[in-house]
Amino acid sequence: MDDGKVTLGRTAGLYIGAAVLRLSLFTLFPGLPDLLTGRVEISTPVTSFKRLQEGLFLYNHNVSPYDGGVYHQAPLFLPLFSLLPSFATLPIFTFILYIAVDLLSANALFKIANSGEAGSSALFTSPRRDKRWSGPVVAAVFLFNPFTIATCIGRPTSVFTTCAILHAIAKAVAGAPFTAMVALSFAAYLSMYPLLLLPPLLLLAYDRQRLPKGITAKPSGLTFAASHLLVVVGVLSALFGMSYLMTGSWEFLPSTYGIQLTLSDLTPNVGLWWYFFIEMFDSFRSFFLAVFWLHLSAYVGGLTVRIRRQPLAVITLLLGIFTIFKPYPSISDSSLFLALVPLYRHVFPLMRYTFLVAAIILYTVFLGPAFYHLWIYAGSGNANFFYAITLVWGLGLSLLVCDLTFAVLRDEWEVERPEMVGKEIRQI
Amino acid sequence: MRQFFSFLLFSLLSICVHPRAASASSDYHEQLVLRPLPLSALLASFNFRSNTTLSAFEAHNFRFFPRSLGQILQHAGTRELHLRFSLGRWDAESWGARPWDGAREGGTGVELWAWLDAETDEEADHKWLTLTNALSGLFCASLNFIDSTRTTRPVMSFQPEGDHPNSTETNTHLLYGVLPHEVVCTENLTPFLKLLPCKGKAGIATLLDGHKLFDASWQSMAIDIRPVCPADGECVLEIEQTIDMVLDIERSKRPRGNPIPRPPPGHELKCDTSKPYHADDTCFPADYSANQEWSLSQIFGRTIKGTCPLTDPNTPPVCLQVPESRSVFISNGSLEKKNADGASRCYEIEPEAEFEMILPAPSDAAQTENKAQAELQDLVKPETPLLYAERSFTGHGQERGGVQTILRNPSPDREVEFIYMESLPWFMRIYLHTIEARIEGQSGKQRDSLIQEVYYRPAVDRARGTQLEVRMRVPPASTVFLTYDFEKSILRYTEYPPDANRGFDVAAAVITILNSTDSVSSSSGRSVAYALRTTSLLCSLPTPDFSMPYNVIIFTSTAIALAFGGMFNILVRRFVAADEGPEVSLGGLKGRLMDKLGKLLALFKSKGGGIKKTE
Amino acid sequence: MPRLLSGALRLRRDPRILKLPPYLSVLCILVGVVWLFLLPLDEYSRRTYISENALLPGQVHTYFGGSDQNVFRAYKHEVNALVDKSNIEVNDKLESIVKGLGLKVGRQNFTYHSAGNVYSGENAYAILKAPRGDATEAIVLVAAWKNVKGELNRNGVALLLTLARYFKRWSLWSKDIVFLVTPDSIAGPQAWVDAYHDAHDSARVDSLPLKSGALQGAIAIDYTQESRFESVHVVYDGVNGQLPNLDLINSVVNIAGGQMGMGVAIQEMWRHNNQYPDRLRTMLRGMLKQGLGLASGPHSSFIPYHVDAVTIQPFGEGWQDEMAMGRVVEGTFRSLNNLLEHLHQSFFFYLLMQRERFVSIGTYLPSAMLVAANFTIMAIALWVKSGHQPSEEVSKAVESKTAEENPRNPAVERDLFLPLGFVTGCQFLSVVPLYLFNHAPETILTPLFTVFAVLNMALPHVLSHFLTRYYTPTAQQYQLIRSFSLLLLGMFLSSLATLNFSLALLVGLLTSPLTFMQPWPQSPVMRTACAVLLNAVAPTAVLVASAAYWQLEIGAILREAAFAWDVYDMYSPVVVWCVWWPAWLAGSVTVLGKPAGRRSRLKAKAT
Repeated sequence: MDDGKVTLGRTAGLYIGAAVLRLSLFTLFPGLPDLLTGRVEISTPVTSFKRLQEGLFLYNHNVSPYDGGVYHQAPLFLPLFSLLPSFATLPIFTFILYIAVDLLSANALFKIANSGEAGSSALFTSPRRDKRWSGPVVAAVFLFNPFTIATCIGRPTSVFTTCAILHAIAKAVAGAPFTAMVALSFAAYLSMYPLLLLPPLLLLAYDRQRLPKGITAKPSGLTFAASHLLVVVGVLSALFGMSYLMTGSWEFLPSTYGIQLTLSDLTPNVGLWWYFFIEMFDSFRSFFLAVFWLHLSAYVGGLTVRIRRQPLAVITLLLGIFTIFKPYPSISDSSLFLALVPLYRHVFPLMRYTFLVAAIILYTVFLGPAFYHLWIYAGSGNANFFYAITLVWGLGLSLLVCDLTFAVLRDEWEVERPEMVGKEIRQI
Repeated sequence: MRQFFSFLLFSLLSICVHPRAASASSDYHEQLVLRPLPLSALLASFNFRSNTTLSAFEAHNFRFFPRSLGQILQHAGTRELHLRFSLGRWDAESWGARPWDGAREGGTGVELWAWLDAETDEEADHKWLTLTNALSGLFCASLNFIDSTRTTRPVMSFQPEGDHPNSTETNTHLLYGVLPHEVVCTENLTPFLKLLPCKGKAGIATLLDGHKLFDASWQSMAIDIRPVCPADGECVLEIEQTIDMVLDIERSKRPRGNPIPRPPPGHELKCDTSKPYHADDTCFPADYSANQEWSLSQIFGRTIKGTCPLTDPNTPPVCLQVPESRSVFISNGSLEKKNADGASRCYEIEPEAEFEMILPAPSDAAQTENKAQAELQDLVKPETPLLYAERSFTGHGQERGGVQTILRNPSPDREVEFIYMESLPWFMRIYLHTIEARIEGQSGKQRDSLIQEVYYRPAVDRARGTQLEVRMRVPPASTVFLTYDFEKSILRYTEYPPDANRGFDVAAAVITILNSTDSVSSSSGRSVAYALRTTSLLCSLPTPDFSMPYNVIIFTSTAIALAFGGMFNILVRRFVAADEGPEVSLGGLKGRLMDKLGKLLALFKSKGGGIKKTE
Repeated sequence: MPRLLSGALRLRRDPRILKLPPYLSVLCILVGVVWLFLLPLDEYSRRTYISENALLPGQVHTYFGGSDQNVFRAYKHEVNALVDKSNIEVNDKLESIVKGLGLKVGRQNFTYHSAGNVYSGENAYAILKAPRGDATEAIVLVAAWKNVKGELNRNGVALLLTLARYFKRWSLWSKDIVFLVTPDSIAGPQAWVDAYHDAHDSARVDSLPLKSGALQGAIAIDYTQESRFESVHVVYDGVNGQLPNLDLINSVVNIAGGQMGMGVAIQEMWRHNNQYPDRLRTMLRGMLKQGLGLASGPHSSFIPYHVDAVTIQPFGEGWQDEMAMGRVVEGTFRSLNNLLEHLHQSFFFYLLMQRERFVSIGTYLPSAMLVAANFTIMAIALWVKSGHQPSEEVSKAVESKTAEENPRNPAVERDLFLPLGFVTGCQFLSVVPLYLFNHAPETILTPLFTVFAVLNMALPHVLSHFLTRYYTPTAQQYQLIRSFSLLLLGMFLSSLATLNFSLALLVGLLTSPLTFMQPWPQSPVMRTACAVLLNAVAPTAVLVASAAYWQLEIGAILREAAFAWDVYDMYSPVVVWCVWWPAWLAGSVTVLGKPAGRRSRLKAKAT
């Protein structure tokens, strides 16, 4: 930001370092990728790389991958990965692809951070904005976050969603609403839930749009929203059309998105849904599915309205909430959320439970695998062990989200009442 | 063993190929073939066959054909039906090739496959449902549990045994269902015997006693119904009921009175006196029970009560397969016919008399040092099977695993080509891309060279099981490992059986060896040379805590409520400074408590004062 | 939730709170220890009971005996004839005998390399197929040729052969029975079980030629005693402190004690008057064994694969003979044979303090958790304190009201990089000793250890000198270092407590002094005292001390540890070097630390 050349050099070094680290992990520990692919914390039924390989295998042998219970991922992955040399013979290409995706995400994050949108949006300027981390730092935090690295090594397809979302944000910040919408619809096509990010993203794009020369008045919000909604719908339908042409039937819809709605595959993960719906009485299953989805989407409206002046904050918080309450969350979602949090470096002093949250997350990171081992392999513990840890994990993250919300709101509030800076406050 | 089969084929041909000759005399045949096996085992295979002309069948005119079954078949539009009840495992290493070339046996539990007349798949499914339900009623087996998840439609493994007119080939559907967990027992035997014309009251069927049958080391009850159309003459519908069992001679000779194998008194113990340390209190056991003497009444607990009057007199009811050299005592009145091949002899029984047979132990067996050798001399040498197959799970833990099948081709010169079929439950998610076949000793996978054709129908959760059919070959004198990975899915807690921690039975794999004579690349139209089943497996799934539903619902809801409540509070409430609004801090709390206490004291004081006043 | 927490938050501001944590930590440790010593009391421990009803232990009449005695004597002669034959010859003979009984026999070679030594041998095993069963489930009977002490297991092997012949006659087995004879008690069974579950590295261990179904349980016979015995000793500790299902132990106790009328002992408590001291001793022995995580018999290797197993050893002079032992095994096998489901009902986490008294995890876990918690409490306290740093002198002057507001002022920015870097550095450094001691050949183990011990004493001084020289860390940074290392320690220990309770508790107690360590820039006395104390509880010192106590030489211990690490993946070394040692290092560096500036205030705080 301050000095272009230096930043550029540093950034390049950073990217190379991250790439080298990942590549060395891939090559030096040949067992590691498959080990991580098998971990339930990393691969979920809708993102697992092993399932992707299976789907690919079936697709290349003219068996419809959607006529089965294994493959639940978007159809466009199939041609993409069948273009690559087969994983069995030349895995290096897959590795390079995933590393590239990580670097692209980091680059998008870099742009977002450098735009300073987090500190000073169109409608709001934080008094603390000058105390923030520049692009390279934020990108580094993302690239060297153990969660991100583990995700990259484990190769779930959620990294593509992450990349698409980050690019959508980056484009919106850069004032290219159209591209942002395209990117978002790609994310939504890959794993559905990003569609919920549309409202805040529209606002963000609306606030940041670059007006063509001469025109001074922004177009009315409604027309803007409508036109870009059309873009999303158009792109999505185009993608679905392509998928249909490729698979020759619509059965990929229930198999890819239906499973997220009905949770028919109950493989354990770090989320709250799986055990709940294992133990749920059959007659209430559909009701609670509806309730859970309603709850997940309920946050969008509230946050968007309350924090209207900082759409980026809304997106960040929403991503945090999705990380907790998605049907099939994994640590790759948390890595996305934790990648956006450093943008709010300037409100960290206002956060109250950072240490507590950090401690909780660390504890769960260690206890989760231990309890999973006790349940599945040692057989001496039962499912409740792992369930309890997922519960704590969820609580810890939700505490972080709440705390961040508090900090952001208080930051806004202190603009109204500057004399309150550093004072103890309460909510009534 | 080959002679055995040639012999059987002969008797079989004599009925099938010349049905007029056969039907002229009788439409019902029964035969018992006894065959001593190594390790003091005895293979007894009962075979009952009767048939009726299709025209009579259509006209509901059943003579020997069991009416109960016939009506079910007609109602369900069944062209050909095969039903198996099996128990135990066939020890191929010591017993050799299977009886009937494995054509009359099934995997552990109940196996059913049938060709049904139906225009569409839905109709076929519907008829299949009626068929299974009716059969489950008829045989007291829980066949009605063969639902859509346990039903498959094999494309390569099974070919119709009967002759079907080509016109109907198009709309006959083959459905295959298996219940590995079903425990076969006497309640299945009784209805089985009821189907016989003599109802087990006369003839060889009198030997069939539940206690003995189900104490066998291996036993398989089979019912095969198929239309047979000879070149000349009209088609007949043939029902063949087969019972094969391998009895442990020593065990079944035990008196019914005390089946407990108490240690025998010391002096009865057969000892190896050649040992230096041999003494009357030290005894190296020599009672290795090879070729001990046995008789029908000892083994089966009874003798054959004459013959079934309806049976075809041309077919000898009892055959025994031992070398010429061995002497056999039979009850007088029945005559012995030695067979030309010198490895088997058959007996004609008087219609009314009881038939008893005694096979004395060979004279020289006791002394000879190497008993296994001696034993083999006194038995018909078992024919080595075309293929040995052994299937087992790899890995541990309840998350994922692998299946490994070891296929060994014993023959030094001829390669074996076969179809390997698995029908797996849906909660075993197999990864087909991990399937791999390698020859022992050779590194790397020769998938393409060994596996020639794969038919795969993936499972759909809660709707359909996995169906995997692999046509592959095993080179001469080599062992092939066929492996693939799978993932164990976790079920809803209502979907687990009461004994969830026992694990789930996985049906046996069916291996159908094709005749290598005709080198047609496609598997269709290849005659089956030999069939075998692997043992079934026990797959343990991860289990939730079954006592937890309420707690889980409560805990999860609480967590969500906390998160939502927190967000909600932060979003809707407004900020004020700490000193604005009511005070809640430790000091404040203390203050409040103090003045509460003060009030209380004051209250007491005033009360006391009040009392004083009253006095 | 934030509302709840904001109440606590306000409390957190109260300066009095900051004085509390050290006392709280002491309290935690004390309560934890006292709790442990309360366990043997009747009020806290429970009587054992069979919760898997299918087992029906001791409900069947056992018929083993009579003329089987003669057969046993004969087999005994055969075994005696094999005494100093090679492993292969032994297996040849055994194979011929078992084949004579009509069982299928398989053999398996294994070769392990550890600390420069080679441990190799050949397992022989036979499978008795369940007469009417399918190959879905199996039970294992193990007799190692040599037991853990290296004594020849003559009676055990002979008994195994006799039982094989006896079991063959029965037709009631619903599960296959595997008879396994291994050359030694640790490596052999380990190789066999690994290969049975295809978890073996085929370079060192052969695959099994024969297989059966899922293993449901295993019983090992360790019968070296020649004379008649009085009672049996049940050994149940598994690898890494995992335990078999309590129901298995209960049924053995029930059959041997109840049905056979022989005594049953555990944890080498040959005499046990069910009183407090004996109970306590039993429990502590159990915890020590569990904490070390060593394999204690042929059964140990089965337990990690979720196969419940125990070893039965006869002991004492009495009138019980081999047949009685055989009947115990027979009865146990009949019970296991009844099982419908894999053993899952009863407890997997327990402490036995007498053959019929135990405490379950719910009762004993708190003691370890409290000890682990004291670190976390201190860590949080230090974190908060480090935030209050500059407000100290103000708070001395002004009354607490303003002190509450001070922490908000942006002056208190914790600079995390040096502490974080230092703590992570310590963690990574810990890989060095771990690698060294697991890969060094046996010959140089002892010298290596001495060198390391000496270096280990010097290391904190070097590091702290280095730190003060180049980074001049402030008091706050020292606090943060302590905070982070304590946080990590607490976290590791609490996760470990769920895997291996005893180990967590042991390490927790040995590291508890670290909670109270802090820089003593002013009083060299305190400083040296703390340094000495820390050196007394250093991993190396503790190792030496325990070696001296049990009269073992260091080399043997280390060789054993390396063997355990290479053969059956014992993770105790990881805990010692990667959890305990880094924490200790960080602690001793802080003790020796000289924080830059604000001396006076620190002194004020120290008092």
